[in-house]
Amino acid sequence: MARRVAVVAGGHSKFGKRLDATVRELCAEAYKPIYDEGITQDRIDATVLSYAASQFTGQGAGSALIADYLGLQNKPHLRVESACATGTASLRAAYGMIASGLYDVMLVLGVEQMNRVSSATATEYMARAGDMRWEYPFGISFPAFYALMASRYISEYNLPHEVLSMISVKSHHYGAQNPKAHLPKEVSLEEAHNAVPICRPLNLYDCSLITDGAAAVVLVAEERVKEFTDRPMWIKGIGAGASQMMIQDRPSLTSIPGAKQAAKAAYEMAGLKPNDINMAEVHDCFSIAELIAYEDLGFAEPGKGREIVENKENYHDGRIPVNCDGGLKSKGHPLGATGISMTYEILKQMRGEADKPSRQIKDVQYGLVHNVGQSGQFVNIFIYERGF
Amino acid sequence: MAEQKELYLGYATDKAVTPFFDKFLRELENEKIMKSKCTSCGTEYLPPRQHCQKCLSECELEEFTEREAKLYSYVIVDFGPESLASKTPYVVAIGEFPSGLRLTAHITNLMAPPEVGMPLKLAFEKIDEKRVTYKWLV
Ligand SMILES: CC(C)(COP(=O)(O)OP(=O)(O)OC[C@H]1O[C@@H](n2cnc3c(N)ncnc32)[C@H](O)[C@@H]1OP(=O)(O)O)[C@@H](O)C(=O)NCCC(=O)NCCS
Ligand SMILES: [Zn+2]
Repeated sequence: MARRVAVVAGGHSKFGKRLDATVRELCAEAYKPIYDEGITQDRIDATVLSYAASQFTGQGAGSALIADYLGLQNKPHLRVESACATGTASLRAAYGMIASGLYDVMLVLGVEQMNRVSSATATEYMARAGDMRWEYPFGISFPAFYALMASRYISEYNLPHEVLSMISVKSHHYGAQNPKAHLPKEVSLEEAHNAVPICRPLNLYDCSLITDGAAAVVLVAEERVKEFTDRPMWIKGIGAGASQMMIQDRPSLTSIPGAKQAAKAAYEMAGLKPNDINMAEVHDCFSIAELIAYEDLGFAEPGKGREIVENKENYHDGRIPVNCDGGLKSKGHPLGATGISMTYEILKQMRGEADKPSRQIKDVQYGLVHNVGQSGQFVNIFIYERGF
Repeated sequence: MAEQKELYLGYATDKAVTPFFDKFLRELENEKIMKSKCTSCGTEYLPPRQHCQKCLSECELEEFTEREAKLYSYVIVDFGPESLASKTPYVVAIGEFPSGLRLTAHITNLMAPPEVGMPLKLAFEKIDEKRVTYKWLV
């Protein structure tokens, strides 16, 4: 039997347009609170760097640069890439290395700097995560991939766009209460519904942000956890899944096959069911993605995700609180940092340390992270259990 | 032997062309679109693959003759990648042929918003000297 692994600490930079920093300073900002808790470099065996897109900065060998900057220059390190699911792919890699006995204590750092180039250039770089031969020539950007899902969903289930806007309203409601958020402001339903089109049927408020930021967590092997904390968060279940590379090859566009596969595996490993989950951090890179996530995770039947939205069951005091930190929409989406930031949020919520009571979820025993890369080619789902 | 001019697909060009893909592009220039068929297990691919996804055997190009499709899904790109910024807004659609094969391309002659299920017709275009494409017409 593999050893159990726990998250024992986390750190988070301010998310935003961070022209005052580059990847190295952002990582220092994420690691510093962990260091201040006493997890100094000498206690860390190795690091994994979650850094999705080096073309944004031009910096190669990112994990060497970051390890060196943080004083971890003589500890083994590696970099992982799985588009927007890089954060949880890195956690999955670290989990495997610890469970196998290779290391006891690992720092998993996620970072992205996306704002040193224009939005058009950023959109260009991200479009190259589509099939370069058959999709890229037609200018299918990231928002376009999700708009293709949205058009199909709207048509199959007769979904009014307002439901998608209600998801963005919720994200901004919570982002406004998160001091780390990129765009911490409330938005009205009218504003969200009538915003400028980006990739119709999706508009500006259906899209996540282009964000700079970093987040970090420390993973520790069961036998060593007590040295680090009396409030651990155990990794209870992990599931990973995959989908076809080209979006036209998906059997359905109203669901992400890799997400359903990952959810099934994660629930099975955890021995839990969707209704055991007390909170979820889902990959709302676009409003439609959050709606589809409700269904792929089993919180709602196919086509019925809108009921969660319309009944506000996704608020912090609802049946299944989702993204009560603002999500990718309002907190921001620095690609490599996102999956780590989601994990950090669950740790904070379990410990009762949400920034404001108005976004503190009560009594979180089980929290779920759903992190999707590209348009679903890679999906990782983690289920965490409160260990105190 | 005379040097052949280079040929690329679509509006934003990936210049990584192979002999197999080049053959596809030369046929496209003559308004023929090729699918591929596995020489070992017979599986067909559109767009074509050089290697069979199932058995990794070589595939052969074969003419694809269906022209009528139904719109499976679409997007109207208002804000595009840098390489296509000057072309916005443009419409990308996945069309499904009666055989079940699908193709993704621009719809270039829309007068009203697209609708899922609407009929599409496959057509061809020489964008310029070096670029060719297939496209949808309504
Ligand atoms: C939609 C998008 C193109 C907008 O970018 P843009 O038009 O260049 O926006 P700018 O950066 O010029 O900002 C203009 C204003 O819009 C705001 N803004 C930018 N993106 C926004 C968003 N997604 N939602 C709400 N407001 C946004 C900015 O804060 C700014 O406000 P201000 O004028 O009050 O300061 C960009 O946010 C985007 O591409 N998002 C998707 C990112 C993505 O695909 N990530 C990967 C997904 S898996
Ligand atoms: Zn074959």
